[in-house]
Amino acid sequence: MANAFSLYAPRPSSLHRLHPLTMLAVVGFCLVAGLALPGPWGPYLVFLFVILPLAAWGQVLPNLLSSALKIALPFAISVFLIQGLFWTGGTPIAHLGPLSLKSEGLLFAAQSTGRILAVIGAFLLLSLTVRPDTLMIALDQRGAPKALTYIVLATIQIAPRFQAKANTILDAQRARGLETEGGVGRRVRALLPLVVPLVLGSIIDIEERAMSLEARAFSREGKKTSLLVLPDSAAQKAARAALLIGMAAAVAAGIWLRRAS
Amino acid sequence: MIAVRGFTYTYPAATAPSLQDIDLDVPAGQFLAVIGANGAGKSTLCYSLSGFVPDFYKGTVVGTIHVGERNLVQTPLADLAGEIGLVFANPFNQITGARFTVREELAFGLENLGIPREEMLPRIEEVLRLTGLEELAERSPYALSGGQQQRLAIASVMVMQPKLLVLDEPTSQLDPVGTREVFETLDALTKTGTTVVLAEHKLEWIAVHADRIILLDGGRIVHDGHPHDVLADPSLPTYGLAPTRYTQAARLAVTQGCVPADRPLPVTLDEAVKFFSP
Amino acid sequence: MNITITDLTFTYPSGVQALRGVSLTLVSGESVAIVGENGAGKTTLVKHFNGLLRPTGGSVHVGEWDTVAASVAKLASRVGYVFQNPDDQLFERSVIKEASFGPKNLGRNDSEAREAAQKALAAVGLDNELDKHPYDLHLSQRKLLALAAVLAMHTPVIVLDEPTTGQDARGLARIGDIVEQLRNERRTVVTITHDIDFAAEHFERVIVMSKGQVQADGDAADVLARAEVLAAAEVEPPQLVRLSRALGLPGTPLTPEQFVKTLEATCLHPSS
Repeated sequence: MANAFSLYAPRPSSLHRLHPLTMLAVVGFCLVAGLALPGPWGPYLVFLFVILPLAAWGQVLPNLLSSALKIALPFAISVFLIQGLFWTGGTPIAHLGPLSLKSEGLLFAAQSTGRILAVIGAFLLLSLTVRPDTLMIALDQRGAPKALTYIVLATIQIAPRFQAKANTILDAQRARGLETEGGVGRRVRALLPLVVPLVLGSIIDIEERAMSLEARAFSREGKKTSLLVLPDSAAQKAARAALLIGMAAAVAAGIWLRRAS
Repeated sequence: MIAVRGFTYTYPAATAPSLQDIDLDVPAGQFLAVIGANGAGKSTLCYSLSGFVPDFYKGTVVGTIHVGERNLVQTPLADLAGEIGLVFANPFNQITGARFTVREELAFGLENLGIPREEMLPRIEEVLRLTGLEELAERSPYALSGGQQQRLAIASVMVMQPKLLVLDEPTSQLDPVGTREVFETLDALTKTGTTVVLAEHKLEWIAVHADRIILLDGGRIVHDGHPHDVLADPSLPTYGLAPTRYTQAARLAVTQGCVPADRPLPVTLDEAVKFFSP
Repeated sequence: MNITITDLTFTYPSGVQALRGVSLTLVSGESVAIVGENGAGKTTLVKHFNGLLRPTGGSVHVGEWDTVAASVAKLASRVGYVFQNPDDQLFERSVIKEASFGPKNLGRNDSEAREAAQKALAAVGLDNELDKHPYDLHLSQRKLLALAAVLAMHTPVIVLDEPTTGQDARGLARIGDIVEQLRNERRTVVTITHDIDFAAEHFERVIVMSKGQVQADGDAADVLARAEVLAAAEVEPPQLVRLSRALGLPGTPLTPEQFVKTLEATCLHPSS
């Protein structure tokens, strides 16, 4: 299952054994709460007290933390500097030469960073603990458009090969004397011989793949069954319902809290 | 099993038909090979026998094709759902990409057909055994060799229990090991009663495995018979094909007086050994 | 223009060691077939000839150029490489434009490039399709077009990666004729192929590779007689060699003519 587009990390945790839609509901709740609760403390509450503990339960805490920080840190640094130093008006709390750090700017930056952490954390949690195909199958079973679920899964598996194909095309054209280094003009001229085979080759591939799928009854109307059994339970169903209510509650709480302040 | 009458087909953008006046009867369980130069109509015949022509490719049709009870010309592809299997040359494009193990890949077609899970499991095991893929059942389809992927493509359609399996040059991108694996699989399938139609260039392989060969030229059937008759016929080169080297050597030996002229020309290694033994 | 390979080792970034010490010289004008099982290192080896891969250890020289010091585009003037899948190359709107692309990159002007392209296209039998869109051609014809596109570059060395897959008898005959023509022009032809009969009929030297090393290297007749070496590299002997062995005949016939000659010798002297 190791391929570039799939972050899935198999673990013997009970979190991994949850029905994919349950995890989807959990992650949806984290997203909604992380964005709806007022900051800066709202999103951090979600990140530190919901997402991280869940990641620990799923035994993927190190993966989640390292990926989240890798993405959030550069963002955080730039937003803190920009908003902190260039916030118009506001109360300066420190001076750096001719510039001053504004508390409102820092607060805003803290809030933005918190939201980024909540959103990224939620997506990482989903990717790390739910196998993409089980999620798509669960959605299929609930009536999601099968073209959509197919495309998501096929992209995960085929995208790395696409990359390999692009490299082969690059090699083939360089072997015919195509210069790819150098000035803008040269690079632009190199685009067509690189892009056209990729696109046309993909079109041929897509046509053959469409025929293959047809031969496997893909476009047959009617009920479909599934080899993979996704264990579910009344408790999980109840939990999902509760989480949906929780999402609405988080939005309401957010509105109320903002009005109160 | 297959009855083709007066079948003529022209692709949408073409000025001339790709298949002309094809009349063909194929009994159930036969292993039929289709040979001919590139452009003679082999692929088109394969697409016609599996229902892709005209439904998928559009174009104009004259005549009928019956496979079992079905008149393919009038049956939309979706209705055929798994009754006829089609395998083609590129193994990579026949993996759906939507399943992460070989076993699940095999289930894909059955899931689409709405087959109950209890029925799926034994069918999958059976087809894994038939195609020799049991040890690879938990592997990713993308971690297989070309020959293994092609066997997976065959298995993926066979699990749907089609009456007819059509293959369009399935070994053209495979090395000799992969080619042997595919032909061994086809042998196993014909033993279970599946009818096989195979378009192929590697004459030395179909000489050994096929029951019957038809030769296409310009969209018409110009020869139809037992491998010996078709492959040893002196007119073969006029249709853009070369006989196997066994046949070539035998013909040469006869003209040079080394072997009596009354012996039938060999098309396989075993026949050649007999032919050249005193 | 010799290609000199000295103690070549190559390890992919993934850690796979594809070449474990290869040393050989391809002499100007030789025709060489490289055979061996999948993963033996054949493609990895030939990709060093035009700089697509650079050695992890050892060296590769094309003429006097060390491939480490020359760009792929520069080496393309000496080593032409026909890739296995033509669809990885074809991008122009017409056959003639496609075949002119290579020569133009090497500095020919438009009319020189067109002339070279036309000659190459005639050699592969596509001279009636000059204005056709490449993707309107059958796959086997696109393979011939890709071959013509590299032939038109007139490189002293030309590498063919699985040239025969998907070809019918006419296509095979054309490719065989082209190999013969290149040999007549004293150009070095290197092919990777698993069509051992094609290799036997058109190439004077056969290199058997397995597990990243050269297992056998020499005259086609000598190498193809060594059944155990071939078997270890998952290579089947040519059809007529198998027939010869089965009949107990001496020698290694590479063509039907050679086979019948050996047969005649035993015709006059009945075999025991």
